[in-house]
Amino acid sequence: MIFSTLEHILTHISFSVVSIVITIHFLTLFLLVDEVVGLYDSSEKGMIVTFFCITGLLVTRWIYSGHFPLSDLYESLIFLSWGFSLIHMVYYFKKRKNDLSAITAPSVIFTQGFATSGLLTKMHQSAILAPALQSQWLMMHVSMMVLGYAALLCGSLLSVALLVITFRKAIKIIGKNNNLLNQSFSFGEIQYMNERSNVLLNTYFLSSKNFYRYQLTQQLDRWSYRIISLGFIFLTIGILSGAVWANEAWGSYWNWDPKETWAFITWTVFAIYLHTRTNKNLEGVNSALVASMGFLIIWICYFGVNLLGIGLHSYGSFTLTSN
Amino acid sequence: METLLNPSKTPKLFVPKTHLFKSSLLHSTFNPQPHTLFSRRLLSITITCKVKTSQGRKNDGKNVSKKILLPDSAPELSNEEVKAKPKSGGGAWGLFRKLPKIVLAVLSNLPLAIGEMFSVAALMALGTAIDQGEAPEFYFQKYPEENPVLGFFTWRWVLTLGLDHMFSSPIFLGTLILLGTSLMACTYTTQIPLVKVARRWSFLQSADAIRKQEFSDTLPRASVKDLGVVLMGAGYEVFLKGPSLYAFKGLAGRFAPIGVHLAMLLIMAGGTLSATGSFRGSVTVPQGLNFVMGDVLGPTGFLSTPTEAFNTEVHVNRFYMDYYDSGEVSQFHTDLSLFDLNGKEVMRKTLSVNDPLRYGGITIYQTDWSFSALQVLKDDEGPFNLAMAPMKVNGDKKLFGTFLPVGDTDSPNIKGISMLARDLQSIFLYDQQGKFTGVRRPNSKLPIEIDGTKLVIVDAIGSSGLDLKTDPGVATVYAGFGALMLTTCISYLSHAQIWALQDGTTVIVGGKTNRAKAEFPDEMNCLLDRVPEIVESSISKQPGSIGG
Repeated sequence: MIFSTLEHILTHISFSVVSIVITIHFLTLFLLVDEVVGLYDSSEKGMIVTFFCITGLLVTRWIYSGHFPLSDLYESLIFLSWGFSLIHMVYYFKKRKNDLSAITAPSVIFTQGFATSGLLTKMHQSAILAPALQSQWLMMHVSMMVLGYAALLCGSLLSVALLVITFRKAIKIIGKNNNLLNQSFSFGEIQYMNERSNVLLNTYFLSSKNFYRYQLTQQLDRWSYRIISLGFIFLTIGILSGAVWANEAWGSYWNWDPKETWAFITWTVFAIYLHTRTNKNLEGVNSALVASMGFLIIWICYFGVNLLGIGLHSYGSFTLTSN
Repeated sequence: METLLNPSKTPKLFVPKTHLFKSSLLHSTFNPQPHTLFSRRLLSITITCKVKTSQGRKNDGKNVSKKILLPDSAPELSNEEVKAKPKSGGGAWGLFRKLPKIVLAVLSNLPLAIGEMFSVAALMALGTAIDQGEAPEFYFQKYPEENPVLGFFTWRWVLTLGLDHMFSSPIFLGTLILLGTSLMACTYTTQIPLVKVARRWSFLQSADAIRKQEFSDTLPRASVKDLGVVLMGAGYEVFLKGPSLYAFKGLAGRFAPIGVHLAMLLIMAGGTLSATGSFRGSVTVPQGLNFVMGDVLGPTGFLSTPTEAFNTEVHVNRFYMDYYDSGEVSQFHTDLSLFDLNGKEVMRKTLSVNDPLRYGGITIYQTDWSFSALQVLKDDEGPFNLAMAPMKVNGDKKLFGTFLPVGDTDSPNIKGISMLARDLQSIFLYDQQGKFTGVRRPNSKLPIEIDGTKLVIVDAIGSSGLDLKTDPGVATVYAGFGALMLTTCISYLSHAQIWALQDGTTVIVGGKTNRAKAEFPDEMNCLLDRVPEIVESSISKQPGSIGG
């Protein structure tokens, strides 16, 4: 009982803190510079609080259920949002001031919001572990996969932001109220990135707009490359440890199971992304296109396959049909 | 013969010429050895002027005099191909001799490789979209000719291209093989030469060349030696010669992609070995019965050869399940004994899911289970063994049932007691009218009275579903996995190079990196902040004073 209460409290704290962080981000867009700095610091502190809350949440669940908290979709979503905040923390400590929270904070709130929303209420109670999942490999395989998803999603969102900024001119020509267009294009965070660049450009550098836009896109490009490379490592380790596990549990290291296949497709797409980076001609917009394709493919791999509930990886499928 | 020798010579074509580096540079080679900056820096450096020698020395005797530009990344192979053609115009023999080179050039083309990866990904996606391994009738129904999917896709496509068994279809395997050859060609023609370039380090002698780097800065009143110390502290390998400094870090990150490619090839080779040299089979054995491994195992490819261990007889001593408190199955166990030809027990083990049995290259997995029979006492007579039959009621959930006739067994419509079970734990009993009467657990000895018949359920006999396989490719594949994980991690390292030049009292610093472009300027600024400012302007002329 105490565990579920604790879980509730931690969920609510982290959720509200991220909401506040996002609100602060939006505020900084419209307020003056000297106030912005202080608010920015507090938003970073907010992300740290969120990180510890989600960590606490996962640990609570671990103790409560007795197994690593990654056995169903709800837990993996919470873990995904933990992954986002972890990436944020890692790059925050590496480089004090970063623009990553524009991507990570909304990602955290979206995944958490989805996990705790009504759609998955039935799955909140930590379920029992299926026989095939009772292995030490669970920890390694699933945590690596979800961390990989988190990093790759982050990186490809940066690429999507790059694309939006690059093609913003074209969008502007189409219609004045591009905010609406952007919003429908890809969640709120891209719009936010836009706004951010907008403010930066309009306030200080009206004359050299294009130069700063170029600088921003270059930054986005480099960061997305870096984060995708990191995610690619996690994904590789995740897939390979999964293969080794499959050789223990199912009798073959590769079964062409839908989930496996889609993980491999994801891997291939991001391998293509990394290869496009080796060629100067394909860098920038082209590689960003590949990465944004990867963004969709991760979601197919993560959700789509589970939604259909086919294949051997049916542990995380939605319980809409039965029960 | 000549053509056979050709490939081995090809990489030498890409030996960089000095025009790669900005014209006025001195190009030097260096024997890699553990190196301390201050004690030996002047002794261990050997400078070889390569302005004229590289081409002549490497291509001695070979008829190659093509000019190959090596850009920072992949060489422009398409150019070479164009140039190669007019030369070989002399005759068919000339063309034939050039062929391997042309093929190599085409295969190692980056856009081609990207295209191949895209097609592999697309085929895999298609393979998950189309149901695999169904009977042709299924495809006739699902992709009818009258109503094609997307206007053109019918069952003819599926069956002619073999999309019903995508992952073993020639079209998919062909693409994979093409990708594999591309991988080899690229490693051979592009990556290995790149290593040679990366290993060859050089000082930059002109301030302009340094300023042209991706990152550059000027430090007034500083010494290049202080910079060297700071860089060494940050993990750089530092080389100093006179006023010039060269430092690098993370060279392994430059080499690791080769390892990634080789690991991929290793995995592919192992996978091929697995596909051609394996035996597989599955069997459902009721508790208490035997089978011979060789009877179950069937070869998967032409390389499959049976071994001595195939004669081993397997006896299922016991099959049982563990349950959670909620009644759901937590684990399956099978207690197996292996007997050799002489009937001697060579091994005994209880296997479960995630804990297979390995013997003589054969692995036995717990993959499935079934309900074999129910042992009942009817009015204290028996026990009778009632065979349980699997029932398909709702979806793929396991459900087994049996029927015990009651009364006149010769009458045309027999009535009796039905028994249903989802697992070996609880048996649901229904009377002659089909009404639910109760649940009994095997071993509980608790009798149940149905329509005047007293029943005791003595035991539930399960059968264990086992998968057997031999796989000679696993070792290779695992080696590839290990190598791939390691090299992918190392690939994250960024190869950073820094040049510096002492110009009077100022130091001009320039640097570049291949991956961590976002962090590099910050890191550099951080390092350069630590370089001490020199008050006395003459200090740079006393070389020994700082080293200490």
